[in-house]
Amino acid sequence: MTAIIRAEALTRRYGDFFAVAGLDFEVAEGEFFGLLGPNGAGKTSTIKMIACVQDVTDGLLEVGGLDVRTNDRAVKSLIGMVPQDDNLDEDLTVRRNLEVYARYFGVPRHLAKERIEEGLALMQLDEKADEPISALSGGMKRRLVIARALVNEPRLLILDEPTTGLDPQARHLVWRKLRLLRERGTTILLTTHYMDEAEQLCDRLIIMDNGKALSEGRPRDLIAEHAGREVLELHLPPEETARVVERLAPMLGESGRIEQVEDVVYAYGVDEAHYRTVEEMASDPYRVIFRRANLEDVFLTLTGRGLVE
Amino acid sequence: MRSGGVVPWLGIAIPGPRFIAVWQRDRDVFLRLWKAEVLAPTIEPIVTLLGLGLGLGAYVELGGDRDYVEFLAPGMLMVFPMFGAMFEALFGSYFRMDQHGTYAAIQATPVRPEEIVLGDIAWAATRMALNTGLVLVMLLMLTPWLGFVKSPLVILTLPVSLLCGLLIAGVSIAFTSIARSISQLSYFFSIYVLPMFWLSGAFFPTDDLPRWADIASNLFPLYHAVVLSRALTEGDLSWGLLGNLGFLLAFLLPSLWLGIWAMRRRIIRG
Repeated sequence: MTAIIRAEALTRRYGDFFAVAGLDFEVAEGEFFGLLGPNGAGKTSTIKMIACVQDVTDGLLEVGGLDVRTNDRAVKSLIGMVPQDDNLDEDLTVRRNLEVYARYFGVPRHLAKERIEEGLALMQLDEKADEPISALSGGMKRRLVIARALVNEPRLLILDEPTTGLDPQARHLVWRKLRLLRERGTTILLTTHYMDEAEQLCDRLIIMDNGKALSEGRPRDLIAEHAGREVLELHLPPEETARVVERLAPMLGESGRIEQVEDVVYAYGVDEAHYRTVEEMASDPYRVIFRRANLEDVFLTLTGRGLVE
Repeated sequence: MRSGGVVPWLGIAIPGPRFIAVWQRDRDVFLRLWKAEVLAPTIEPIVTLLGLGLGLGAYVELGGDRDYVEFLAPGMLMVFPMFGAMFEALFGSYFRMDQHGTYAAIQATPVRPEEIVLGDIAWAATRMALNTGLVLVMLLMLTPWLGFVKSPLVILTLPVSLLCGLLIAGVSIAFTSIARSISQLSYFFSIYVLPMFWLSGAFFPTDDLPRWADIASNLFPLYHAVVLSRALTEGDLSWGLLGNLGFLLAFLLPSLWLGIWAMRRRIIRG
């Protein structure tokens, strides 16, 4: 498969601050690729460089085989961008928003018309086509921004935290639409600080922190490698936590590890037997949780911090 | 640094035809709201013209048999429409740049920052010409009674207005690019627009002013637009007008460059 994005030692610096500090990755055509990390990890800076909205400070960055430094216009016409904020034109109707955007790409009018109707149907907005933007809910606005990003039939769709601020229902609808787009063959690059979003959607992802990649791989593989299968979470009072940890620590094998974030203790490399032991010790067994490991745990294991602060 | 087609000695890329898509966007918004947008630019200049012309005019002696209201009329074709271009390039552009994310949305498309700015400048100038057209219609309607329009050449005030609008908008949008808040835009109004308004030659001839004020008036594009408007409305052409047209043409590219260069910096910094 050919790479649609190729980044080598990609760097973005503001003054003395490195927002992106030497990032290497490739995204293959047709892939659903994620950048997962907390706020300030460098996700948005990375996609802004890919979309030629911000300059590359150093390193190599190619989109569709083109160097972004010298081919801004050509690269931008390959990309559909869904930014963090819904920067829709509030003074225009839903359909007119898309028409205006298609003109920026120089899409011929008849072709734009077709794509707009298709996009509105795909995003379940056809009934709202002639409404003002103010008549849309948060989830609808998001879907409209996605429809807008499709008017140029992009080879690469970029979404910057597409479900931040949406209620669970709206969120699931956006996810469904994104999976639909992937099935239709669109290459998608997504940034998120929600581990469930990354886990649900991404074929492959990079976990980022402080402008660097901590780890890269398929979500399940990353979890298995860094967090094991199961996790024990202790939400106990401090003295009790100390006692439990003292007892639990020697029981863990080589792959076992204990992390504390704020007032919660996480134990990795655990099994059912550990859970039984801790549950028996706890004054309130309800505050001991035994669950499957996820990407949040991967991040925690790699940094000792939570994803969403 | 990303090249983005930037010509080093200019500090900007030469804008291409994609600026038209931005102009069209501004036009589409205007067409949606036009009813609210045309009343003031039609009524204000006419109320001012009749109020000052007939009211104050009763006390003004111009020499000859010319009434003050006739003297005022040609200036109304430029002075009030100028506000249209200025407001569009100050407040309109500020909102698009800072509040509504319009510029940011366009930045993700093949339209370059230079083309975003040129599109906005071109639209602001279009607003000025449009307003000139509205005032002209009113003047024509009043001409049977007050004798405002004396020559069909008056139709040429539209391109003059467009040209003047490009200069005004270029300078205004450059100011917008350095404004940190909406309220700072009023500084520009005080230091640039108001002096230009009073020294435009629309309300009184500037020749008899102190020499420094007369020279200052000549540095504003509006002054030259009013001179041209007066000549075209009265059908009184002279070679000297080429100087006024020459001023506007000479400052066209520098004004566009200034607006584009300054606002591009703001857009790219994000």
